[in-house]
Amino acid sequence: MTAFSRRAFTTAALASLLTACAGQGTKGTAPESGSTAPQPRSPHRTVPAEQARPLARSVPVRLLIPAIGVDTPVISLGLAPDGTVRVPPVTADDRAGWYRHSPTPGRTGPSVILGHVTVGRYGDGVFRRLTELHRGDRIVARLENGTAAEFAVTAVRTVPRTRFPVDDVYGNVDRPELRLITCGGARTGDGYADNVIVFAALSGAESPTSGER
Amino acid sequence: MRRTVLTALALAGTAVLLGTGPAFASEATTPSPVPTAAAPTPEPAESAGPTAAPAEPTRDQSGARPAESAAPTPAPADDDDQVSVVPSGAPDTGVTESSSDSGVGGTAIGAGAAAVLALGGGTFVVVRRRRATGA
Repeated sequence: MTAFSRRAFTTAALASLLTACAGQGTKGTAPESGSTAPQPRSPHRTVPAEQARPLARSVPVRLLIPAIGVDTPVISLGLAPDGTVRVPPVTADDRAGWYRHSPTPGRTGPSVILGHVTVGRYGDGVFRRLTELHRGDRIVARLENGTAAEFAVTAVRTVPRTRFPVDDVYGNVDRPELRLITCGGARTGDGYADNVIVFAALSGAESPTSGER
Repeated sequence: MRRTVLTALALAGTAVLLGTGPAFASEATTPSPVPTAAAPTPEPAESAGPTAAPAEPTRDQSGARPAESAAPTPAPADDDDQVSVVPSGAPDTGVTESSSDSGVGGTAIGAGAAAVLALGGGTFVVVRRRRATGA
């Protein structure tokens, strides 16, 4: 073997080692941006005492939560083949989704709306700040028929995903209620350890003439 | 000459292994991006717009059920259930950056392996040509 070929082999070997190391390096760059800490609840705002009347059935088209700056379109979601609820697609323009087998907002029963806390490389999801809600905060669901159902937050709960309170979320209730669901808590390798659930009750309604759609 | 060719081949093979090794290793260290990435399915079956009012059986219009917001109604269907189909498990509404990143990482490693292969091949050709010209 000549001196030249020896040099060539050495160079090739060195280059291959460097490439292998660089390849491994890219894996370690996953940033841990912002973990969600459960927020304390302050019951300083009052929830309207009287029960608002149920509204006519109409699917939600938009969701507004002024306290945390949410104003998002609402899509319709069904069930995945494995029986879990589908979630909105992971896109840059993240949206909330209404679970179509739950009552429409304003009907008697728990209307369920889901949203992402983060959408991978697109950053924050539409429900990123759900844990900042407090009892009494206003949530407005605009419906397809032009009316809007107004809700007031009654509770914010962070629960381990392994102990998701199915009955509390999907169980029957005697008035129109709303559930907002996202993920939260500590980030694990493949997601989040907890779910954040906002419970709210109907507090009023807007007619089509009283506001924009 | 033959020894040189064999040595070059062995080196190229080693280079490929070095390139692909980390790819396998890193797949293992990123615990399956599949669960998170898979759960937020792009859901082709879903209607993207809320316009189609699904024919959900509108139950319990009376609003006169026995009370209690936390009232546990054992999950699956009773005729009076307000939620007509209770989903199983917890919704997966958080896609972490690392899970969506893994595809990019895998691509980088694949590209690295290809580069190493090309480099090995190039070296082999150069050496062979040098030998042929008697340098």
